[in-house]
Amino acid sequence: MTDPLVILSGVVKRFGDFTAVHRLDLEIAAGEFIAIMGPSGCGKTTTLRMIAGLEAPSEGEVRIGGRLMNDVPVHERDTPMVWQSLALFPFLNARENVEFGLRMRRIDAAERRRRAAEWLGRLEIGEFAERNVDTLSGGQRQRVALARSLVTEPQILLLDEPLSALDAHLVIRMQGVLTRLQRELGITFVYVTHSQSEAFAMANRIVIMSEGRVVQVGQPREIYRTPENRFVAEFVGRNNILAGTSRGDAIETPLGVFPAAGLPAAGNRATLVVAADLVEIGRTPSEGAIPCSLISEEFVGATVTLFLEAKDGTELKVQLPERALGDLDPHAGGDFHLSWPADAGHILVES
Amino acid sequence: MNRFALAFRLPVIAWQGLFFLGPLFFMIAMSFFLVKNYRMEEAFELKNWARMLTRGYVWDSYWYTFGMAGLATLVATLVAFPAAYALAFRVSEATRRWAIFLLIIPFFTSYLVRTFSWYVILAESGAINAGLGTVGLGPYTMLNTPFGTVVGYLTLTLPLVVILQTVALANIDRNLVQAARNLGCPPERTLFAVIVPLAKAGLIIAALFCFILSFGDFVAPYYMGGSKPPTLPILIIDTTKSGQQWPRAAVVAVMMMLTLFSIAAASIWLAYRKRSSA
Repeated sequence: MTDPLVILSGVVKRFGDFTAVHRLDLEIAAGEFIAIMGPSGCGKTTTLRMIAGLEAPSEGEVRIGGRLMNDVPVHERDTPMVWQSLALFPFLNARENVEFGLRMRRIDAAERRRRAAEWLGRLEIGEFAERNVDTLSGGQRQRVALARSLVTEPQILLLDEPLSALDAHLVIRMQGVLTRLQRELGITFVYVTHSQSEAFAMANRIVIMSEGRVVQVGQPREIYRTPENRFVAEFVGRNNILAGTSRGDAIETPLGVFPAAGLPAAGNRATLVVAADLVEIGRTPSEGAIPCSLISEEFVGATVTLFLEAKDGTELKVQLPERALGDLDPHAGGDFHLSWPADAGHILVES
Repeated sequence: MNRFALAFRLPVIAWQGLFFLGPLFFMIAMSFFLVKNYRMEEAFELKNWARMLTRGYVWDSYWYTFGMAGLATLVATLVAFPAAYALAFRVSEATRRWAIFLLIIPFFTSYLVRTFSWYVILAESGAINAGLGTVGLGPYTMLNTPFGTVVGYLTLTLPLVVILQTVALANIDRNLVQAARNLGCPPERTLFAVIVPLAKAGLIIAALFCFILSFGDFVAPYYMGGSKPPTLPILIIDTTKSGQQWPRAAVVAVMMMLTLFSIAAASIWLAYRKRSSA
């Protein structure tokens, strides 16, 4: 891998007494689609704004392309951002919005027009060039915002929850547009979101933040299947989390003893994580299966999530395709029996 | 409209009808009346209009008033802007609230009283000339000059213009300013590239208020400008006093109304026009 495009080292951001970001170290490679994800207030947007220069780090260094950026003002950075609110200029039409960055670089009018037209065309909104931005639909405005940021051909594009205001079907469309653009342009996208589906659908690498700290960095699949700590296990996907004690090759939990790999020495505390989609559910009791009763269920399209309760009150979740429900009929009452293969469990060792 | 809603609107409708529309129509009608032996008679003659519109002194006064109100509007807009900008962008919200409160205080006292207080400062023996005298300058005549008139107009309008501009600037979406910087806009270009276009409607409305108040003001041109030359409001007073010529005064008043209607309509169109030529 070549030198990283963006390097954040030991970056701290304080607002008065509140520390938004604690000693953050992060390297972002050129051409990478990286998502920074976390609940609101986790410091993800602050991190993005520090890359853009909209916030100055209280400590640490921000480097882009090897250059120390701490004292480089916003307008000299060439780190365009797509805003959550889009921040289109209401006093300019779509084309003039796209031309704004070029006008600021004092590029002549004919060239500006040519490049704006090229980008409006590329984002399939050429026909709306002369339209007032507030007469455009959400998706069209989104495309104007993207064209406006990309027209100066930057090395990096920062995106701050750009799809959060769109309807669900448009989000999927725009995800496709974004991944295609990123692949075609080969530039770095830094995408901040609280939405798992957006991050997992688009990013090559995901950074999970919580309370101003990076809690895990990895590829989407790694993050999903092997969370490194309880926060990630709870935040990402649908996981069953059981605290227990190591017996060396198995973990003892209130619901039973489960064989697992990666356990600490016997007697130490550990946590077993089992993804809800790996749990098997049946009506007939079997060796080691956990009897549960149904609390509630959730249908999202073809996927069903059943929320169950074991005899001791522990809540368990099972996720399965709707067609796999078969003769399980959740409404029939009675007990369900939950089990999982030995290799489905994933062990967390909290320090 | 249901009866209930009508009942609630009735007082406003009645008030506007009795004290605004009624007098307005009466004034327009009166501009066609005639005065004989110092008594007004109902008539429908164009004589007043013909006389007033062909008199040079009326047009001199019209353009002088228009120019002075325009000048005051320009000066107020330019003088108020830095103050409004500082209040909107450079101070805390608490400070801004205090500043707006302080800017309202001038309206607590009569404008006439505030105008007279300028005498102490601007008179030949006043504070400014006394100060200039110590360095061997002056004395300069500032009262009873067009300069005095403009100072008077600004006394009336400047606090209001600052308030309106501050509100317009403070309501700008800061994200848009940051977005401009993010797209390569250097600080020195932010003002004309984003801030002024975003606050345009408010800035124009502030200027419009300044023009309307100045154009119709009697106090500043009379007490600070010494009626030399007379503005239209002074002309109206003089005309009514000389031979009970209320109809001719009504002609001047209607001219003023038409001018202000046109200026207001043009300003509102300019302020809320969707597309910019930028």
